[in-house]
Amino acid sequence: MKQTTSSRVSLIYALSVRNLWRQRRRNTILLVSVICAITGVVVLNSLIRGMQLQMVDQVVYNLNGHVTLHAPDYRSDPAIARGFLGNSVEFARKLEPLNLAGWATRIKIPAVVMSERETRGVQIVGLDPAQEHISIVADLPIEGDFLVNSEDNRIVLGRALLTQLRTKIGHRIVLVMQDINNKSIEVGFQIAGVYDSDSEGMEKHIIFAGKKALQHFLDTKFITELSLRFDTRLIPPNGLEKVSQSFPNLVVVDWKNIDPILAFMYESVNAMVYVWLAIVFTALVFGLMNTFITAVLERTQEIGLCKSIGMKSSLVLYQVVSESLIIMLLGLMGGLFLSWSILQLLGDGIDLSAFAAGVEMLNLAPKIRPAVVWLDISIVVIATIFLALVASLYPAIRAVRLDPLLALRD
Amino acid sequence: MSSEILRLNNVSRIYGKDATQVHALTDVSLSITKGEFVSIVGPSGCGKSTLLNMMGALDQPTLGEVHFDGNRLSEMSPGELTDLRLQEFGFVFQAFNLLPVLTAAENVQFILQLLGFARHERQSRTKEVLDALGLADVASRPATELSGGQQQRVAIARALVGKPALLFADEPSANLDSTSTRELCELLREINTDRGITIVTATHDPLVMGYTNRSIHLEDGRVVEDKSNP
Repeated sequence: MKQTTSSRVSLIYALSVRNLWRQRRRNTILLVSVICAITGVVVLNSLIRGMQLQMVDQVVYNLNGHVTLHAPDYRSDPAIARGFLGNSVEFARKLEPLNLAGWATRIKIPAVVMSERETRGVQIVGLDPAQEHISIVADLPIEGDFLVNSEDNRIVLGRALLTQLRTKIGHRIVLVMQDINNKSIEVGFQIAGVYDSDSEGMEKHIIFAGKKALQHFLDTKFITELSLRFDTRLIPPNGLEKVSQSFPNLVVVDWKNIDPILAFMYESVNAMVYVWLAIVFTALVFGLMNTFITAVLERTQEIGLCKSIGMKSSLVLYQVVSESLIIMLLGLMGGLFLSWSILQLLGDGIDLSAFAAGVEMLNLAPKIRPAVVWLDISIVVIATIFLALVASLYPAIRAVRLDPLLALRD
Repeated sequence: MSSEILRLNNVSRIYGKDATQVHALTDVSLSITKGEFVSIVGPSGCGKSTLLNMMGALDQPTLGEVHFDGNRLSEMSPGELTDLRLQEFGFVFQAFNLLPVLTAAENVQFILQLLGFARHERQSRTKEVLDALGLADVASRPATELSGGQQQRVAIARALVGKPALLFADEPSANLDSTSTRELCELLREINTDRGITIVTATHDPLVMGYTNRSIHLEDGRVVEDKSNP
């Protein structure tokens, strides 16, 4: 009984493996170069992706959330008069279907802070500590006390600002701000504690106060923002649309609009990842092609013999292509395994604290933790198979075009 | 009753163009009958291999026609010619007969794999042929470790295993000593008489010619004599 396909496949496989083994030194070098290229691409891309996601994390984490909702015109004039009523029961009902890690209502308004010796422009953030597990507030190292609840009428400020104001924990400072009627008010607050942050800018400009206490001084029930954090690192598909539909009267701003420079960097990194992949794989394709052309030239007589005794041109083509595929698939497996091993070793991240200033400028965390993006891995797998086909096609066509008689005489 | 299996009508093969033209074969007409053991003889460069290549569908004539079993080879596509070589012809070349990455048995099985035979049938047919040709002991040895004579026998085994109608052997004894040549000729005659396979061999060795029952003499690409051997 004839089993044409399986019989021919086993023949092609056997010939390919034996031919690869025959030139094992050369093919081992080729295999190692493929493994190195794939490892380089996967590991570096994972680090780049890690940096990219950490940039997003930093924005989301830094009191922004993935999405922030404001009353219209608040962003052009961030005053309490451009706030909206914060109804926690209604918010909870509307936000329940959105798979959120949490949400927080805040007041963010500009203010001037005065100590006995100095005056500075700041942003005062009125918050409810119970809602702030979604932001950096929950993890800030505090000297002294943090706010007990949203009715706490003390304040917490950054160490850099404390130094600038030349004041101390327990001392009083005065905040000048505009109330709901756009009248300037001066309110004295006791300093409950001081926070430290990786960002000196944050330490200098952000002061935390209790939300309800602030509403009391501002003579309003308004808040200025509703901040949402999804339970994923990025906004899920249709997440923004769903939020907009739930809050038609509010302006929905995602992290890309909150920080357009970072959004540009995020998109640039996307392009960089694929450009890097293209450069490495293009370099690899020429090496592969050269090796397989050499392999075909070395086997001219064998190919001529095969064709003369009845091997079809298609099988000659498959043989060369399958050699390339075997090398590339082995290289892919080896490269992915090596990448996985390296990423396991880098699991705790690469410490960049020695470059603190640069790290802060790029909105990065002081430790870069690699992030594996499965789409990138899928692209590497597909590109490897495509590369194997492209690199072997020309040598395979040369093999197919060999005249069996001339090849035998060679 | 004998019947014609291969016919050449006014076949010429010209290589090159204009001033550099070489007439390798000129106006050759002949017929091969089923069951014959034919030798094509003549001095080096007389066109023996070219004629064999025309008959074996490895090359196309510049002029004239080659017919196999009544079919014109010139009307067949390259794919059909490949199938014809695989299914109907067996080849033994002067040198470089075997694939060096395969064992003797695998070289024989190669044809059966191309023909699409299942594993168990491939193995049984290969064993049968190797046993018949006295190659059972070297079946698992790599082709590169076989002597010249053994390599030629394995090539014959490969040519026979697909049960071809015609076997072409191009200078099969060129790299063999006289003892091995005699053994090879005995084997070819046995294949011809016992299996009824038509054999056409190109040779300049009188010893080989002596085993065949018909000799076609070529000189300068022309048939100068076509005679039956006693």
